[in-house]
Amino acid sequence: MTAPPGGDRRPLGVVGPAPDWGGPLEVGGVRLATPVMAASGTFGFGTEVPLCDRRALGGMVCKGIFLEPRGGAPPPRIVETPSGMLNAIGLQGPGVEAVIRDYAPLWATWPFPVLVNLNGETVEEYAELAARLDGVPGVSGLEVNISCPNVHRGGMLFGHDPEPAAAVTAAVRARTRLPVWVKLTPATGDIAAVARACEEAGADALCAVNAFVGMALDVRTGQPRLGFRTGGLSGPAIRPLAVYLAHRVAQAVRIPVIGIGGITCAEDAMEFLLAGCRAVQVGTATFVDPNAIGKVVAGLRRRFSEGARPAAEAPTGGGRRRRPVRAIAGGRVVE
Amino acid sequence: MHDLQAPLVQRRRVARGVFVLGFRAGPIAREVRAGQFVNVLLRPGPLLRRPFSVHRTEGELVELVLRAVGEGTGRLLELRRGDRVGLLGPLGRGFALDPTAGRVTLVSGGLGVAPMPMAAHQARAMGMEVCWVHGARTAADLCSEWEGDEVRWATEDGSQGVRGTALEAVPEPAGQVLACGPIPMLAALARRWPEAQVAVETVMACGTGVCLGCAVPLTSGVYTRACTEGPVYRAGSIDWERLPAPTHRGTAP
Repeated sequence: MTAPPGGDRRPLGVVGPAPDWGGPLEVGGVRLATPVMAASGTFGFGTEVPLCDRRALGGMVCKGIFLEPRGGAPPPRIVETPSGMLNAIGLQGPGVEAVIRDYAPLWATWPFPVLVNLNGETVEEYAELAARLDGVPGVSGLEVNISCPNVHRGGMLFGHDPEPAAAVTAAVRARTRLPVWVKLTPATGDIAAVARACEEAGADALCAVNAFVGMALDVRTGQPRLGFRTGGLSGPAIRPLAVYLAHRVAQAVRIPVIGIGGITCAEDAMEFLLAGCRAVQVGTATFVDPNAIGKVVAGLRRRFSEGARPAAEAPTGGGRRRRPVRAIAGGRVVE
Repeated sequence: MHDLQAPLVQRRRVARGVFVLGFRAGPIAREVRAGQFVNVLLRPGPLLRRPFSVHRTEGELVELVLRAVGEGTGRLLELRRGDRVGLLGPLGRGFALDPTAGRVTLVSGGLGVAPMPMAAHQARAMGMEVCWVHGARTAADLCSEWEGDEVRWATEDGSQGVRGTALEAVPEPAGQVLACGPIPMLAALARRWPEAQVAVETVMACGTGVCLGCAVPLTSGVYTRACTEGPVYRAGSIDWERLPAPTHRGTAP
């Protein structure tokens, strides 16, 4: 494992395009309408958040699906924690055929791209899902979920180490022409190594990070407060952890990184952009404010139009490779 | 569905430790039906919203009834007149009143009074005869307000009305039965009146159907969302053994 870049004093710079780019931006093979997306599991299939300002939505990742329908985890499924929440939904969902039949035709008419979050218990299940979704109108890309903490088999178990992460990524890559993004788990000894393995296996972008595994106990009963016993911790509580891990990933790979973890406002999103991310996903905040994404984008637009940029230099850090550098001048992105 | 900043306009005590808070939120007040709820955002306050059945409406006012059980409710009761909260609603599916039944019996235990004044009001407006049966541990815990043509009380210690739960005080014929209260009471009610409509309480995050956190297990083996398919269910459709009681444990921000 490489050492954390704790003493690194080199300046950070925003690599994400400014939201006033004047048109869609290309991230990992997907044309995003803005740099702020809806994270998987927090936007359903795009029909369940009526109060969100959809003009602000860069794109969305649908609720994680498997090949077959799944009932999900027993309740209680959520527990509030300081500045966050634990969830163990267990990837309740309708299965790929229902998604193709009921939702994809709708997505094909929407002005922002929809990525499908893929889950499997085996490498072959991921590959089969990818093949099934290849060429389906309305599906703009795949987000390979090797980081769900709330299933007994598969999910996060593929994301702990570089080899299984690469195996899933390569299997999906081989079965689809769609852009392949991989959503990473924080539960790994060296997230940079997992990130590089996914990049080498053909990922077009990486999403960092999924929820942290956590547990809460009811001291009166002595029992776990979640039906699944453990859950995924999300929300502002994880933001500093997520910013750090997203930064590690951004330093380690050349493909774009999408930052995720506790974003509630434009300033939070800026942290991820400064850390090296090209775009961000907003998750738990949507549960609190259905228009959280609209407010994040509005805030980013204000910040960028003011031209106030913290640094105009390239992000460097300990990465093996240099990324094409974007700097900000007068509130505009320049190459 | 509206997301409003609603000022606290009034507050009154209706039982020991139980208060009705009235917020000015005209658009919600005009649309809400009995059994529907609002999801309340406190800032500063805990991360997640807190769901409450709408208790009554009056003009522009949306009334909620609550007791301090944790961080969110504790802070709600500390609000002063004019303080604003975020109100998201109306949410969920409310009671479906059937005027052909002629008579409706409202069965509430403890804070299960929450949706009943609206239900009584709507039922009477549809020409139904309304009997409200309300139970609590002891007389001091009984809600001092009631609506309808007839009210019956029940207390576990017999200090007021029938000794026992609200269920034991229901006069026959009950007509249409609407209920809200602790899970053991509702489970018992489901055995007696499987066709009754019950409003259930679960932990919840978004309230709009997206997080799947408020899962209610049905006897058919599937989970449904209390916020969207519920919170009102046919009593006999719920798998009561697998529906956990919500635990209230406050979480500081």
